[in-house]
Amino acid sequence: MADKNPFKTIPAKIYEIVDESPLIRTIKVKPEINFPFQTGQFAEVSVPNIGEGPFTPSSPQSFGFNLEFTIMKTGFVTEHIHKTKVGDIIGLRGPFGSRYPIDEWKGKDVLIMGGGVGMAPTRSLFLSMVDNIDDYNSITFLIAARTPADMIYKDQIQEWSKIQKVKILKAVDKVPEGEKWDGDVCLVTKLLEKVKIKPKDNPAVTCGPPIMMKFGTLELLKYGYAEENIYLSMEKKMYCGHGQCRHCVMGKYYACKDGAVFTYDKIKNEEKIWE
Amino acid sequence: MLVKVKEFETFLHNCVKDNPKEIGQVIAACQVPVNPDSRFFIDIKEGKQLCLNSYRTVEPTRLLYYFTREQVEPFNRSDKKRIIVGVKACDLSALKLLDKALLEDDFQDPSYKYWRENTILISSDCQEFSSVCHCTIFDGKPWAEDGFDVNLSKVNDSYNIITGSSKGDFFIELLKRFVNISEQSSINQEKVKIKRQDYYNKLKEKNEKYTIESYSDLRVQDIKNWNKESKKCIGCGACTNICGICYCLILNDESTDDQFIKVRSTDSCQLNGYARVAGGDTPRPQMYDRFRNRYLCKFDYVQSKFNTYGCTGCGRCIEACPAEIDIREVVKNVKVVV
Repeated sequence: MADKNPFKTIPAKIYEIVDESPLIRTIKVKPEINFPFQTGQFAEVSVPNIGEGPFTPSSPQSFGFNLEFTIMKTGFVTEHIHKTKVGDIIGLRGPFGSRYPIDEWKGKDVLIMGGGVGMAPTRSLFLSMVDNIDDYNSITFLIAARTPADMIYKDQIQEWSKIQKVKILKAVDKVPEGEKWDGDVCLVTKLLEKVKIKPKDNPAVTCGPPIMMKFGTLELLKYGYAEENIYLSMEKKMYCGHGQCRHCVMGKYYACKDGAVFTYDKIKNEEKIWE
Repeated sequence: MLVKVKEFETFLHNCVKDNPKEIGQVIAACQVPVNPDSRFFIDIKEGKQLCLNSYRTVEPTRLLYYFTREQVEPFNRSDKKRIIVGVKACDLSALKLLDKALLEDDFQDPSYKYWRENTILISSDCQEFSSVCHCTIFDGKPWAEDGFDVNLSKVNDSYNIITGSSKGDFFIELLKRFVNISEQSSINQEKVKIKRQDYYNKLKEKNEKYTIESYSDLRVQDIKNWNKESKKCIGCGACTNICGICYCLILNDESTDDQFIKVRSTDSCQLNGYARVAGGDTPRPQMYDRFRNRYLCKFDYVQSKFNTYGCTGCGRCIEACPAEIDIREVVKNVKVVV
């Protein structure tokens, strides 16, 4: 945190809104002063006089002149975020929390599993690495959603597949009648069978609904990934973002401050990590 | 230093009037006629009856530094100092932990910091106990050894005064302008020592059946025992709201068209909505789970994070509980096999 005062709020103006799926939209904002962040970190985004919520930018890490947040309508604050219009002001606090150590992953084969709105942080991670794609041996990106309509960033995924060293596979749980789909129909963990896995010393990232992260982690362990190389994003209530409100306490850790990105070995013995 | 109790109390009552530039408010532990067995922190400009040498107040000192509801951004400050008199050792330990949590991390809570810096904190030895006091279990003593600006120990009709900081020295300078201060005799010092030891022994004896060992390994105790112990709990959250340490907060956005305004208010992990995330899921939907969480937080999570228990043995939660749940009994019973 640049400022010792964690409550300081930076106004940011919305300059574009993209509807990604019936429930998910991306808002693009310009903060009044730079909001530099590293991929994996999150901001407390506030809607004036409504409330705040923690969101990881879906844009690549940067000096923070522009940021994008991809947000699913699922509760009170997100409902109001979905009511905002271009030109509205929202507030940003932070950035808070841990990051994906992408500088330590140079020369490695990186595996990413993103599901549903968990695609937002993984998009930031993916694009941050693509910015320096020469540094990495390969990136395998497994993408999942419930139905084709729920799949976000569809057009971008097409473009990403063309990047050298990048392999992308996508799957949905089911295809309702009338919807078109050109990917697999299975759980994201099944996609692991279709790619060449190199578990030794390489990192694997999973971000999505808790149930996906749980079974994703167990599957990755089976494939031979080391516990300290499996990166998870903990979904807990985070009021403050800086380790004060205690709502997200996991033993001696705060999900907001020591996470939200954790390696599995760190938290495997804590209570209720998947709930 | 020695000062007559009467003269000292008169000084406190007139302090704001006599030192309008320096002192903005004097809050002291008082006795009120409708509830003679309890002590309350009261703004004493109205000439209340002070009660400095008894046991701790009903409300924790925490709430004078970390209000139930307070605007934290933007935060308005004043130059005047305030004085709080009659703080007990248990609450000083609590403030020590709050300092670790709210000031010594990589963030600082701006309003807590302001109140800590702008308060002259005067503690006083306990010369009475409440039936729920149990600081001795946590190596606490019914007198303060550090963490105060000034400490008072009553002997006969005088206070033995010692200072513990530059703010304390500042207070003594003010005091000297109005009150006659004499040097402390060694006989008096000896009397303070004997008196303290006497009260310590009594308190220790009262809590004899409880040991610090029962506060460890709570995490691994059978969930059935927690279920049984929590049966009486109605989940009102009184225990956490009255706690000298519990500092969980809710951050509300109360912004206007011109500026972002953040208001923090206290929260309680005993309430069902506490850990609920968007979409409605909560990791602790059952009462016994939330009940257990409070014990684990105090005696496991806080302990592993700050290297000290999240309990000072003030006993306020026991006093406040409508179901008469005793924290000491719970940690003892939860280890008994059912």
